[in-house]
Amino acid sequence: MDLRAGDSWGMLACLCTVLWHVPAVPALNRTGDPGPGPSIQKTYDLTRYLEHQLRSLAGTYLNYLGPPFNEPDFNPPRLGAETLPRATVNLEVWRSLNDKLRLTQNYEAYSHLLCYLRGLNRQAATAELRRSLAHFCTSLQGLLGSIAGVMAALGYPLPQPLPGTEPTWAPGPAHSDFLQKMDDFWLLKELQTWLWRSAKDFNRLKKKIQPPAAAVTLHLEAHGF
Amino acid sequence: MDKLSPLTPVSPRISFKSSLQHLDLEWTVQNLPHHQELKMIFLIEISRIRTSNIIWVGNYSTTVKWNQVIHWSWKSELPLECATHFVRIKSMVDNGMPPELSSWSEWSSWEEVHAQNPLEPNALFVFPKRKLVEEGANVTICSIFGSNLKDIFCYLEGELIHGEQLDSHILTFELSNVPFVRVSGMNFYCVEKPTNITDGIVLFVSKVLEEPKDFSCETRDFKTLSCTWSPGVDTGLGWSMQPSQSYTLVESVSRERKHCEHKNVCNWKITQELQEIYNFTLIAENHLRKRSVNIFFNLTHRVHPLAPYNVSLESIEATQATLRWKVLYHGNRYSLLCQVELEGEGKVIQQSNVSVKVSGEEIFSELVPDTEYQACIRCAGAGHFWKWSEWNCQKFSTSEAAPSEALAVWSTVREENGSCIVNLFWKPLSKLHAKGKILHYNIITENLDKPHRVKLYSASGLANDMKLTLDQCAYQINVTASNSAGQSPASVIAISGDSGKEVEEERIQRTEDGFFVSWKPLSADNIIGYVVGWCVRLQDPLCDLQWKNIGPNTTSTVISSDAFRPGIRYDFRVYGISTGRVASLIEKRTGYYRELTPSMNPRVTVKNLTSHSFVLSWTDYSTNDQSGFIQGYHVSLKSKNRQCQPGFEKAVCSDDSVCCKYNIKNPEQKTFTVENLQPESHYEFLVTSYTRVGEGPNGTFTAVTTPDELSYTLVQIILPMIFSVLLIISVCYWKSQWVKEKCYPEIPDPNKSSILSLIKSKENPHLTIMNVKDCIPDALEVINKPESTKAQVMGTEKPFLAESELTAYLYPLQKEHSGPGPWICFENFTYNQSASDAGLCGHIPVPSKDLPWQQGLLTQPDNLLNVLEGNCEQPLREIPAGEASLNYVSQLASPLYGDKDSFSNNPTTTMPEPCSDYKMQMAVPACLASPLPSKESSLSSVVLLDQGEHYH
Repeated sequence: MDLRAGDSWGMLACLCTVLWHVPAVPALNRTGDPGPGPSIQKTYDLTRYLEHQLRSLAGTYLNYLGPPFNEPDFNPPRLGAETLPRATVNLEVWRSLNDKLRLTQNYEAYSHLLCYLRGLNRQAATAELRRSLAHFCTSLQGLLGSIAGVMAALGYPLPQPLPGTEPTWAPGPAHSDFLQKMDDFWLLKELQTWLWRSAKDFNRLKKKIQPPAAAVTLHLEAHGF
Repeated sequence: MDKLSPLTPVSPRISFKSSLQHLDLEWTVQNLPHHQELKMIFLIEISRIRTSNIIWVGNYSTTVKWNQVIHWSWKSELPLECATHFVRIKSMVDNGMPPELSSWSEWSSWEEVHAQNPLEPNALFVFPKRKLVEEGANVTICSIFGSNLKDIFCYLEGELIHGEQLDSHILTFELSNVPFVRVSGMNFYCVEKPTNITDGIVLFVSKVLEEPKDFSCETRDFKTLSCTWSPGVDTGLGWSMQPSQSYTLVESVSRERKHCEHKNVCNWKITQELQEIYNFTLIAENHLRKRSVNIFFNLTHRVHPLAPYNVSLESIEATQATLRWKVLYHGNRYSLLCQVELEGEGKVIQQSNVSVKVSGEEIFSELVPDTEYQACIRCAGAGHFWKWSEWNCQKFSTSEAAPSEALAVWSTVREENGSCIVNLFWKPLSKLHAKGKILHYNIITENLDKPHRVKLYSASGLANDMKLTLDQCAYQINVTASNSAGQSPASVIAISGDSGKEVEEERIQRTEDGFFVSWKPLSADNIIGYVVGWCVRLQDPLCDLQWKNIGPNTTSTVISSDAFRPGIRYDFRVYGISTGRVASLIEKRTGYYRELTPSMNPRVTVKNLTSHSFVLSWTDYSTNDQSGFIQGYHVSLKSKNRQCQPGFEKAVCSDDSVCCKYNIKNPEQKTFTVENLQPESHYEFLVTSYTRVGEGPNGTFTAVTTPDELSYTLVQIILPMIFSVLLIISVCYWKSQWVKEKCYPEIPDPNKSSILSLIKSKENPHLTIMNVKDCIPDALEVINKPESTKAQVMGTEKPFLAESELTAYLYPLQKEHSGPGPWICFENFTYNQSASDAGLCGHIPVPSKDLPWQQGLLTQPDNLLNVLEGNCEQPLREIPAGEASLNYVSQLASPLYGDKDSFSNNPTTTMPEPCSDYKMQMAVPACLASPLPSKESSLSSVVLLDQGEHYH
């Protein structure tokens, strides 16, 4: 067989790729207790799924609200939505977050967002929209449970809601309908940002929890590779 | 009455309802006498922003008591939050006099209304915060903003709109005829640039509530009234602004009301049995409007009965059945009218109405036996029709009855081997006449010559024909059909052996109605009718025979059938039926349902081709099997010179070329001679048949080339000559041997020689001829002749020795040889065809290198050694080439006796024959060397001599 220089480089690249991906093979990483790794992966996957689901729901709901809320360049002030947990954070601050704080922030944010989201269901006048919202709420509840599972696996306690810190932002007669619509707009927007941030959070967490690739290499050598 | 002093309103108090945009005023009137009521008029002024800016002035008249608080309300078009409003009131006693003659009180002080707190410099608000209007309403929206805000942009449904500046910090927007856009309302918002301070409202526009349509109530059981209506559009809105409209049922006689749970139906329970009259009002209601409809009715007029139950059919017979049913009992005062329908084959055939209180009965008569029916029944109020109940249907079938009609029977008869083959056909009875399922057909044959010879046949109920083989053709046949209830009347048909007279076939044309067949009436009085028979499917052996019975006084009929197809020839036969039921053929007609052009052209063969003519023949073309009556043929001929022969006409052929056409008008003429042709010319012809409709299909022309005249003549003369010459040659050849023998024999027969007679007569009258048999050979000479010798000997003559050397041996034969014989010469066995041609016989091809004894097939070595004594031990190849030579064996030479050695040493030595002086040489054919004892000798005795190599 005729091997050329290009082929040699290709084989080397292939070998490197295989070695790089060896840690991802679950069967080779099992050393007994799987640890929080799979839970984090599942949470990450769920986050991505919810991102996709929210794109569809937000489109439908914002059309229901009507213009200007369904216009792409509409960017109103937050006003009543100030109480919503903000996903946006300084990059340095985000990097410096420890695992516990990172997970706690996620948990608290989705707890509040879920509560607000259930409020949307009351505004919806069409049965189809109510069904979509209910389905998304169920999925979000699942994400919350998944985060709680990761925290438990890592030995972190779940944050207890302090008295008086229950979400005060809720539709009420004091609020104008327009501001309510703006809050709904912001709720969906913030939810979208949170899901995006969570994906980053869980990806970072996932990498951090996994053992380094060198250890795997040693492990493979011991088995005569 | 004294003039009253003016009474001034005091302590006006103003309250504000944001949702309704109402200003509610409350005040009292001072100095009002105790226990006295005064009719007063209040003049109210409302100013906006400033007291001087009066926007509304109006009167309010009311009766005022002492210490009474007077309430008045004013609705503002502009949202009250957007501007400060001022109100003042003055009053006057309404004494019936014109206002100018009465005196007004003093104005109350201006009361100021601030619906909105003082604005902050960066504040921006849009009002009204929550507004619900109906489609088509006019709405005023206002925006107020603080002193720091300058550039305010307002949008309705995302579209920028411009408002009216009411004040430096107030913008108003008049929206007229607002449409319904969505249940979540129309969005209106203002934003200040560049601070992006935003506020907005949602304007909820409701569809107009419609009046319920088709409001109606009815009862099915006198226990519940079911009221239904069409609700129209749903006016519900989102954000809990307005639910869907509600419906309420109010009955004014009983003064009861019920909120309806559904939007199009409401059930009302009948509690008072004695209440017959109901007055219902249906009220539809939403936040903006209330609509109502009313109906008034007598309960017994709104009865929609339930479907009859326990519907059953009893006493079902062949032509009669009884239907029984029950209805819900509504009391003695109320009866139902029930409609009964009898359906057969999908159609209503009987209908009747029966008045019923509890149960009903209806008898159906004149039913058709063995028929499926469906009886259906429904009921409605007898006194006042409101609605029919649902149908309740039951199916039933009447029982069978005996067939009522005799079968239509016809037959074809033919004689075969002395028997009479009768194909009997009958038409199945119609359902009306069969009156049940025909189980079988009974056929009874009765010999007319021997009336007591009756035979019964039976055919399945599905059969329509039967083949009978009878011993003779004089029979009467009775046919009946049977079902489970009985037998039909018998159909009688008679057959006779008389084939009748020969009738000529006539052609008929189809008319619009069908084939018109007419015949000459038979004068005989014993004719009871006529039958016209024809075949529908000609390919079928039984041909799906059809027939039509016609009365005795009719002499024509029109035969029509859906089975007739264009291009098919149908033959019709008209029979007269005698009183004895015997049919006799009287007419034959044939015709096409529609004639078509011939589907195929004749297949033409060319015969008798000469230089000036040829004959076209299509004798195998059948004119009867075509798709129309063949009226003739067209012979189309094409030639290079385009000259038409006599009788031909120029025409345009099917391939658009010019050709000559000849019309043969006799369809039975199936040969045609094309004459007056040029020798050695190319012609093309096509023969097409034609019917009344047109010509046959376009075919391809067939080419013919006429031969040239000379060659034709030559062929006429030379061929017989060649034949004759060949015949003569054959005869000559056949007789050549005989001639040769006679005229110039190869070996003259001394007995026949004229010389002999000459010698005899002149010299030696005792001269005799020696007989060959008298010579007894003593030795065999084997000659081995080398090539050179051979070449020398043969000279210029044709060589016939293929091998380079010729070896021969001469062996002395034993004296005790078994039998006398001539010289036997053993030669080399190699020879060629020339040797064969030389008239030698017994020659066998042998490879030259194989010795004779090596040829097992030819001569066994032992046999040969028996013949050749021990002196011939010298091998063949050891003989010196110079000594070997072709030997000559004289016919008269003496055979060698005695010295074997000398023989072996000098094989070429020959001894003269002492007993004969005849020296003429001869070749001895093996076949003539008969004295050789063994059969192998015929294979080996060969003399190889050419005619020119005779030694003397």
